[in-house]
Amino acid sequence: MLFFCASLHAQNDSIIKPADESIKIKQKYGLRLGTDLSKLVRTFLEDDYEGFEIKGDFRLTNKWYLAGELGAEEKTRSNDYLNVTAKGTYFKAGADYNFYKNWFGMENMIYGGLRVGFSTFSQTINSFEIYSQNQYWAPQYTSDIAQEFDGLTATWSEIIIGLKAEVLNNLYAGFNVQFKGIIDQNQPENFENLYVPGFNRTHDSGRFGFGYSYNISYLIPLYKKEK
Amino acid sequence: MKIKYFKYIKLSIAILFLVMLSCEKDDICSEGTSTTARLFIEFYDISNQESLKNIFNFRVQGVGNENVLSGYNIVTSSQVLLPLKTDEGITQYKLHNDYGIDNNGTPDDTSDDIITGNEDIITITYNTEEVYVSRACGFKTVFTNITIAVENDGDNWIQLIQPLNDNQSVIDETTAHFKIFH
Repeated sequence: MLFFCASLHAQNDSIIKPADESIKIKQKYGLRLGTDLSKLVRTFLEDDYEGFEIKGDFRLTNKWYLAGELGAEEKTRSNDYLNVTAKGTYFKAGADYNFYKNWFGMENMIYGGLRVGFSTFSQTINSFEIYSQNQYWAPQYTSDIAQEFDGLTATWSEIIIGLKAEVLNNLYAGFNVQFKGIIDQNQPENFENLYVPGFNRTHDSGRFGFGYSYNISYLIPLYKKEK
Repeated sequence: MKIKYFKYIKLSIAILFLVMLSCEKDDICSEGTSTTARLFIEFYDISNQESLKNIFNFRVQGVGNENVLSGYNIVTSSQVLLPLKTDEGITQYKLHNDYGIDNNGTPDDTSDDIITGNEDIITITYNTEEVYVSRACGFKTVFTNITIAVENDGDNWIQLIQPLNDNQSVIDETTAHFKIFH
């Protein structure tokens, strides 16, 4: 954090200040659209994952942005006893608040955000093997008949902490981490939701989950306004 | 200045990695989890039906299994825990009371050995049901509507078999499911 701030100061020194000290700082307002790069990379690198996300935000005031995400994911989890694919779509809607005080001419963000997420999805048990600690009669019963549970839904809330930096004119690179808690979900009979698109994997310990995003986005400037 | 953001990204990768590590324990099925249970039988005295009665030189082997059931190779016990087949609705066991080998006076020649004692074969029939346990353990089998029959060999040591409940199930193995009187 210190290092980051120091670098911004250094940058600022090289800017020649206009003679008029009471200069009005105008900032860009508009619609910023982007995608989650980490989901694209994982789609290429991981055999058991496919995902895509479009994200957007719209600047309301100096500090506040309306923000949301729309995406689709497919994830297969497997161990020796269970192989399950979750597949579905999601959207998240909320707002971001920029904590970062920009220096002249810069429009970077260190922000906190809140979202409500909603997903509709299916889970398919591709195969399973009965778990038994005693293996006197091995192998245990196994099933390779796919069993699909569809029409599943989940609603959750999210706290986001992240940053966005303007790397080229109107082009932003960003990173964020997401802490989530399930508000409501419907689960299959005699099974449970192991992965919720948009939410990420669930945990045995409770309703909480985590996520992250490396993203790139482009600002379509609509107008400029003083701070 | 833009380059400096990479410092941040590196840090966030490190944090994320730690978060991910801490979550992995969900993926190991712990031994304390109640998964597929065994059939729990206790042996009672036929002439004093309230009291447990030991079987001496007790040996247990599944019919069709070439191994002795681990823990029951010529032991003294008043109970037995029998694993049931999860891929079939029937499991058979040889319950051998007072197991011994008479080598006919020729310890080096096993061809003329005679197995002594009394072996009864029981047939356990049941329905199976797959019940979800957890992401790490997957599914377990619950056995329902269990019945046990003894093959009549004219010299049975087993006198009577009683379930503890009607339509006896095996969900866990904390208490006995059947009583065998002898």
